Amino acid sequence: MTPLVRLTGITKTLTGQEQDRTILDGVDLTLAAGESVAVLGRSGSGKSTLLSLIGLFDRADGGQYLLGDKDITRVPERKAAALRSAEFGFVFQRFFLLKHLTAVQNVSMALVNGQGWLPRRKRRAKAMAALDRLGIAHLAKHKPPRLSGGEQQRVAIARALVREPRILLADEPTGALDTETGNLVVDALRDTTERGCGLVLVTHDRDHAAKMSRVLHLADGVLGPAEVPA
Amino acid sequence: MRLSGRLRSSLIIGGQGIRARKLRTFLSMVSLFLGVLAVVAVQAGSVIAERALLADIEMTTGKDGTLQVYLPSAPESATVAMDTVRGHGDAVAITSTQAVIGEPGVRPVNEGGGPLEDGAGAYSTGMTRYCDDAGDCRTVEDDQDAPQLPQGKAIELNLQGLSADIRQFRPFRTQSGEWLDFGGAPSLSPRIVLNTKAAEAFRKVRVPAEMRVAGALANPTPRIVGVVDDGGYMPTAYVRSDELLNWMPVGAIADPNFGGVQLLMSPAATDLEQILRSRLDAAGANIDEFQVVPVDSREHLASELSLLRWIFLGMAALVLLIGVAGILNVGLATVGERVEEFALRRAVGTPRLLLAGIVLAETLLTGLLTAMLAIGVGIVGLKGTSWLFAAREPFLADVQFPWQAGVAGVVAGLVAGVLGGLIPAVRAARIPIATVMRA
Repeated sequence: MTPLVRLTGITKTLTGQEQDRTILDGVDLTLAAGESVAVLGRSGSGKSTLLSLIGLFDRADGGQYLLGDKDITRVPERKAAALRSAEFGFVFQRFFLLKHLTAVQNVSMALVNGQGWLPRRKRRAKAMAALDRLGIAHLAKHKPPRLSGGEQQRVAIARALVREPRILLADEPTGALDTETGNLVVDALRDTTERGCGLVLVTHDRDHAAKMSRVLHLADGVLGPAEVPA
Repeated sequence: MRLSGRLRSSLIIGGQGIRARKLRTFLSMVSLFLGVLAVVAVQAGSVIAERALLADIEMTTGKDGTLQVYLPSAPESATVAMDTVRGHGDAVAITSTQAVIGEPGVRPVNEGGGPLEDGAGAYSTGMTRYCDDAGDCRTVEDDQDAPQLPQGKAIELNLQGLSADIRQFRPFRTQSGEWLDFGGAPSLSPRIVLNTKAAEAFRKVRVPAEMRVAGALANPTPRIVGVVDDGGYMPTAYVRSDELLNWMPVGAIADPNFGGVQLLMSPAATDLEQILRSRLDAAGANIDEFQVVPVDSREHLASELSLLRWIFLGMAALVLLIGVAGILNVGLATVGERVEEFALRRAVGTPRLLLAGIVLAETLLTGLLTAMLAIGVGIVGLKGTSWLFAAREPFLADVQFPWQAGVAGVVAGLVAGVLGGLIPAVRAARIPIATVMRA
């Protein structure tokens, strides 16, 4: 079966003022449907950069990126935007909810992105369904300042899931949450894999990483298996 | 469908952005308002001024497209022209002569036929119309043959005989009474309509007893039926040609010293023009002197007004530019504040072009709202001005807000929106997602 994502020999060098720094040095990664992968590593090790490359926020300097069986290593920005809309969902450490919108509007904003058009009623129905899946449909009319950190992150996850992506990318989604709330969020993320979604979780928390089907470690630009306590 | 979706998306998100930042939108509108209002005011002012000037010019020279026919100088031209246009509604023959209306046996108070305020003799041609006790009138040179009549209550004016209703070509404004009725049989007592200058004179000299007309067989008693504003400066009276012809021969009602016969024809009256040309030719007139010239008041006026309009529009554009700078300033600050939002939108698949469109939609909507506000203020302002000054300036009575000013306001608002939003839009489209998402 073709994996959802296959990275082969990916390299990325950041251009600095004094000297260039190689962040990723021949990274290989595959992600299958329904699989969850945790990426551990120190701050500045390149975990977020790796996620940016997978999510087509940025482009690799070298290597090959296959999405399904399509080579998208050098995909132009216009097509990348369409792929981000159709294939990917993103969850960030900071929730990036828009304060002037309600929870349901924050979720449906992902549906108003110029990639196709849905009438307002359908957008709202989809957004409500996404909120319902995360158990926060009752908070639909609340604006972010009235929500707790965990609630806000679940709204952000609903926003990531509302377009029913095949790949979910989460960049330290529990970094701003307490342990108990963080566990709830990670459980919610892992539940998405049961519906066939591939999940890449970047985290510092080994306990959360342990809940994933695979755990990798990124150090000195090289991605390899990590040892996680059972 | 895709384009439509993007357009709708940018309008929806732009609308949300405006609602979320009401104060900033308001400040942008304030900075832009004066500029758009200036454009609306200049455009409205120029259109209204053009309308007012055009209306005055149309009264004196005729509506645009009216054909002015210049007849050959042959003596039979008047007779041929009068005969030819008789019964034709699309042409008017205008004969012109001098008349004195008032007390018998006196010199008019405005000898020469000028406005009363210019004094007697100001427009004297050196000839005097003299009528003896038997009613026999003749024109004689001043200080030679004519006995020195005492100056009395009489007004000298230009008497224009009309073969049909002239208002289809020269839209006179009725001031009081009624216009000449061309429908019925001609009256032996000529009905005359005065212009405002003549009416002013008759308000001071109230003896409209008899009418002395050069070449008349006797002096008829006129009936003044109305007063019109014809835009003229000289006292003038209008009369049906056929009523005048009851008292004088055709050759006498068109005095070459006062313009003779003038023809106004509608642009569609080409057959009539050909018939007239043929008849004049047959009558032995020099047909090379026959000329037809269309009236082009609007073009003439437009060239006169255009320089003035451009100067004022230039000044309005400067004010508008300040408004654009205001929008630009607010727009750049807003984009700086919304870096995360725009990066997030890119992350969920919003193309760069749509991000730019969102920012442009916001500034365009702001420009449009400002334009609507400025147009509204312009309409109310014009109504107020009309209400306050209509009595002093008649052209302001019933003045309508010109649609051109509304269009100019909307265009100014949209252009300001584009100019003010372009740089913020480009900046929004260039926000890198990866950098921001690591924030």
